[in-house]
Amino acid sequence: MGDAFRETYARCTRAELHLGLLGAQGSATPMNRIDYRHPLPVRLWHWASATAVAGLLLTGLLIFDIHPHLYWGETGLEGEGAFVSFSGRHLERQVPSTELRIGASRWNTTGKLGSVIDDGFGGQYLLVAQAPEDWQFGATRGWHFACAWLLALSLTSYAVYLLVSHRLHRTLLPTRNDLRLKGIAHELWQHVRLRRQRGEAARHYNVLQKIAYLVVIFILLPGMVSSGLAMSNTMSAAWPGLSALFGGHQSARSVHFITALLLAAFVIVHVFQVFVAGFTNLMRSMITGRFAVDSDGEP
Amino acid sequence: MSEPISRRAVLSGLAGAGALLAGCSRVDDKIPFRQLLGLSDAFTLHAQRVLLAGRPLVREYSLAQVTRKFPVNGTLMPPGDAYRRLLDGHFRDWQLKVHGLVSRPLSLSLAQLQDMPSRSQITMHNCDEGWSAIAQWTGVPLGHVLSLAGLLPQSRFVVFHCLDKISMDGNYYYESLDLLDAMHPQTLLAYGMNGQPLPVGHGAPLRLRIELQIGYKNAKFVDRIEVVDRLDSIGKGRGGWWEDFDRAVWYAGQ
Repeated sequence: MGDAFRETYARCTRAELHLGLLGAQGSATPMNRIDYRHPLPVRLWHWASATAVAGLLLTGLLIFDIHPHLYWGETGLEGEGAFVSFSGRHLERQVPSTELRIGASRWNTTGKLGSVIDDGFGGQYLLVAQAPEDWQFGATRGWHFACAWLLALSLTSYAVYLLVSHRLHRTLLPTRNDLRLKGIAHELWQHVRLRRQRGEAARHYNVLQKIAYLVVIFILLPGMVSSGLAMSNTMSAAWPGLSALFGGHQSARSVHFITALLLAAFVIVHVFQVFVAGFTNLMRSMITGRFAVDSDGEP
Repeated sequence: MSEPISRRAVLSGLAGAGALLAGCSRVDDKIPFRQLLGLSDAFTLHAQRVLLAGRPLVREYSLAQVTRKFPVNGTLMPPGDAYRRLLDGHFRDWQLKVHGLVSRPLSLSLAQLQDMPSRSQITMHNCDEGWSAIAQWTGVPLGHVLSLAGLLPQSRFVVFHCLDKISMDGNYYYESLDLLDAMHPQTLLAYGMNGQPLPVGHGAPLRLRIELQIGYKNAKFVDRIEVVDRLDSIGKGRGGWWEDFDRAVWYAGQ
């Protein structure tokens, strides 16, 4: 009877763990333990920045779509001298012809991807779909700035929190151990095989995770905010050096869109990893802070 | 709307944000969302006003950096016989009216404007679509004309009524600035571009150059300037044609 009871008990506990029914003290089974992994500021930052980045990527894509060309330098117009260009021509037929140009290479993207902007309202395309009649570009920009404020304010607060709470050192900076080539190679191999972390290893961010988060928090997001600010007329008066730092107004715009692409790539991989590492557990840990650690040797 | 970005907008924006966070906004009730937009615009305006406290000028460029083929955007040629006749007469019959909350309403010919103290500046025009181009603009500082007219104490905004209609809804183009931007030394009523009279596509005979803000604020084909204390009785009350039609942001220093 004893064994059967223990087995049932363990199974119940596991189910409860996955439903988030047990608190930190509920980790009495030998199979699992619960860590209080994400303090409130981390969770607030995560969801504020997730909302902001989702809004920014969507509205930013629509803004790019209005003038889908990237230039280097101060000025840029009508796609002349662009190093990346979606050009569209509305021929006398239903499907507009579009092509993507990167440097000297050209790809015909008709019907797949593109933007037709030069045939007036009603003829505007949002990537492949026709813009709805009541689509308001001006409002799209308004929302972009609203999301940018949310991101900039939460990023600043979170950066201060990371430093003041020493969380930067405790959880994000790679340890000397992390940075050993063998360890990095091991992590890469684990990631390639989509293996999830277990036991003690699951209680800390792995080295690839740490590097990804550091790059996003200290390079990509500040890069987004500063290249966005560099495009502002007011900033060009108040801090003329900012635009010069990027090599001109259009360079700042190009850096802004390329960085956005990298950020979008991070978001896709990040969400994918949540599914690999256990959706319920990770979502719960980012909502309640509590993270169930799989014990070693589990199948 | 008494002012596009008022203290009330900030407060109701905060209330809207609170309502959203508390989850008590109805799904069909979009007002808190609008208020969030108002809150964001207020943040932008006030943050940028702090940055502009020292009254800096936007960057000016050299003649060598002038864009050879400056794009023509918006109205290429105002419709109707009235504009055609003005153009054929080289705008000799055109007059700029300055009226509203001023002590001396003015009616100024192009020649009178050209005789006033002038400023030439080579600046970058940034369109909200994403392109940018550099040109030299010559004109009279707007602040000079407003001083001649004499602003009354209750004046808050300067509205530019234009001769062109945008085809989408057939209303005349208009734009507005608050007095801080109107009095900026680089804010011009420009009659010259790249050393030539202002071409039709760029707003002949007179256009606004507001270098602190982006493209659509730079109204072309200016017909009259009205000084007001509130914007809600003009157009749909959002302070400009794109603001009314497309919900573009009114303070466009971004």
